[in-house]
Amino acid sequence: MIRPTLHLFTHPALYILLTLAVYALSLRLHRRWAWIHPLLSASVALIFLLWVLHIPYASYNTGGGVFTTLLGPATVALGVPMYKQGIKLKATLPRLSLVVFAGSAVGMVTAGGVASLCGASHRMVMSALPKSVTTPIAIEVSRSLHGDPAITAAMVLLTGLLGSVIGPGILRLVRIPHDHAVGAAVGASSHAIGTASLFRSSEVRGSVSSLAMALAGIFTSVLAMLLNLYWRARGAGHPW
Amino acid sequence: MLGFVIIVAFEMLGVGLHRLGVPLPGSVLGLILFTLALLLGLIRLEWVERSSLLLVRHMTLLFIPLMAGLATMTAELRKNGVALLASLVASLLAVLLTTGSLAHFLLRDEEIAEINREADLLP
Repeated sequence: MIRPTLHLFTHPALYILLTLAVYALSLRLHRRWAWIHPLLSASVALIFLLWVLHIPYASYNTGGGVFTTLLGPATVALGVPMYKQGIKLKATLPRLSLVVFAGSAVGMVTAGGVASLCGASHRMVMSALPKSVTTPIAIEVSRSLHGDPAITAAMVLLTGLLGSVIGPGILRLVRIPHDHAVGAAVGASSHAIGTASLFRSSEVRGSVSSLAMALAGIFTSVLAMLLNLYWRARGAGHPW
Repeated sequence: MLGFVIIVAFEMLGVGLHRLGVPLPGSVLGLILFTLALLLGLIRLEWVERSSLLLVRHMTLLFIPLMAGLATMTAELRKNGVALLASLVASLLAVLLTTGSLAHFLLRDEEIAEINREADLLP
């Protein structure tokens, strides 16, 4: 994987700069052609650049990893939209919680169920369970269930990307056009990536979505915790 | 800058509590405590509003290095590809439709109230 290539690009700051530049360009591209998801164009461009310049991913990540580290604080920062929307949507909050709870439970059951029906190993099934919630939460949930955090991260990213590209269209197709419903559905299924793309088009959708994704993150961790406690209570530990 | 300090402090508090044995992810604990602190008035919104909106608005940026990393694990993804992809698509559709249709029925009056409010603002 890592080729022993001589290259001049070794300073982490350069990789931070590279990531920022790719991001800025992809946002500009998105403003011009709205259907190009900035995350998709940015990552494709970055993968291409690393490949052309013979930069191993491991050395890119000495700088790029800074952004990954910031995902933790970014999750905590969700408290602000949650607080603001929670106050604004006080009357709907219990109903929204119920809706998101149902979505999270259905998501975990279908993700695990379909993966195991398709013959995935137990470890892969556990890695699939938290795929609907934002990366820093999903990785920790996956670890607590003895899944593979890298596989989980891959599924989380692809789910978020796919959901933010096709989610609003599918909901329009089944005649669910309301901002609150779209926000709740995209937030619960496509977490931060979906929320970020909704924010670019509608404040209301984005706000409901950020509340929904934070709730989904909490509910999914609680459900995973209960699953773990159940296994521990049976005294058998994990069933493998 | 104060906002960032507060946010990172809550992240560290959450991670610390998780290490001490609280069975929820550290960032979730941080998020819950942070929101509670806002609700209880221990933290003022204006201290943290700008920093956190900056982080939330540019969350897409924070995912780019991870996405680029997917290119290095193609072999693993291919091995379990079909099962994981099927699970991904099925679960995505299930969550979208369950949440969407439930919200469609449960949150409808809120929507109508909003439309009425907007209509009131029209000249």
